[in-house]
Amino acid sequence: MKFEHEMILCIVNSGFSGEVMDAARACGAGGGTVLHARGTASPEAESFFKIAIQPEKEMVMILVPAEIKDAVLHALYQKVGLQTPGQGIAFALPVDGVVGLPGQVSEGNSKT
Amino acid sequence: MQEKKHMAAPLRPAKVVRTTRQQPLTGAANKHKTAPKRLKLLVTVVDRAKAEFYMDLLQGFEINMQISASGSGTAPSDILHLMGIEESEKRVILSLVREDRAAAALAMLEEKFKTIKKGKGIAMTVPLTGVIGVSIYRFLSNSR
Repeated sequence: MKFEHEMILCIVNSGFSGEVMDAARACGAGGGTVLHARGTASPEAESFFKIAIQPEKEMVMILVPAEIKDAVLHALYQKVGLQTPGQGIAFALPVDGVVGLPGQVSEGNSKT
Repeated sequence: MQEKKHMAAPLRPAKVVRTTRQQPLTGAANKHKTAPKRLKLLVTVVDRAKAEFYMDLLQGFEINMQISASGSGTAPSDILHLMGIEESEKRVILSLVREDRAAAALAMLEEKFKTIKKGKGIAMTVPLTGVIGVSIYRFLSNSR
C-alpha cells in the first residue's frame, strides 16, 4: 500500500533542529514541529561503540509528500546523521489521512 | 424363588450427535463474530492555547486516551521577525482512535481549523500495526 504523505521523525541533539529543517527544506519539505525530549542510551553500548550520547534531544516532525521522502531522509543523514555533532536518526511513518495542509482537498490519501 | 438375573441392556453403537447448525453462521447469528477494528494514531498540531479545546472535542469520537506534548513551530525566523513573533508555541496531541471514527474526527478537525479564530492547525493519522493486551485494546478502541 502506498501513501501520498509520510511523517518523518528526526531525533537530534538539542540545538540542531534548525539544521534538520534546513536540510529538509532544501529537498522541498514545508514546515515542521519540534518537540523537546530526553533520550536514553545503554552505557554498555556507548562504551562498546566509543560514542557519547547526549540525553537532551529535539524530535522534529515533518510531514512530506511521499515522492521526496527518500531525498529528505538522505539529506538528514548527511547533515545531522550519527556521525555528525547532531547525532541524529530519522525514520518515516506512513500517513493515511491529512487535513490542514494549505491548498489541500480534504480526503483520505492512501493508495493501494 | 428364582432370582431374576438382571440382564444388562445390550450396548448400542454410539450415536453421532449432530448440532443443529450445519451451515456457516450468517446474518444475526454471526453478528458476534466480527474482526476487531484497527486503531490509528491521530496526530494533531495546534497552537498551545487551543489544545484543551481540541482535546475536549476529540473525546466525542470515542477517543479514550490522549497525550499532549509541547512543541514549537519551525517557520523561517525572518517571517517570524516580520510578524513580531519570537516563536510559535504549539501542542502536539497524540490520540488513539478506532479506524471507523478516524475519518469523522479528521473532518471535524478540518472544519474547526477553517472556522475557529486562531484555531488553525494540522492533523494526520498513522495506522497502527499492533497492540499488546486485550484489555488495553478494549480500552483504546472503546469496546464496551
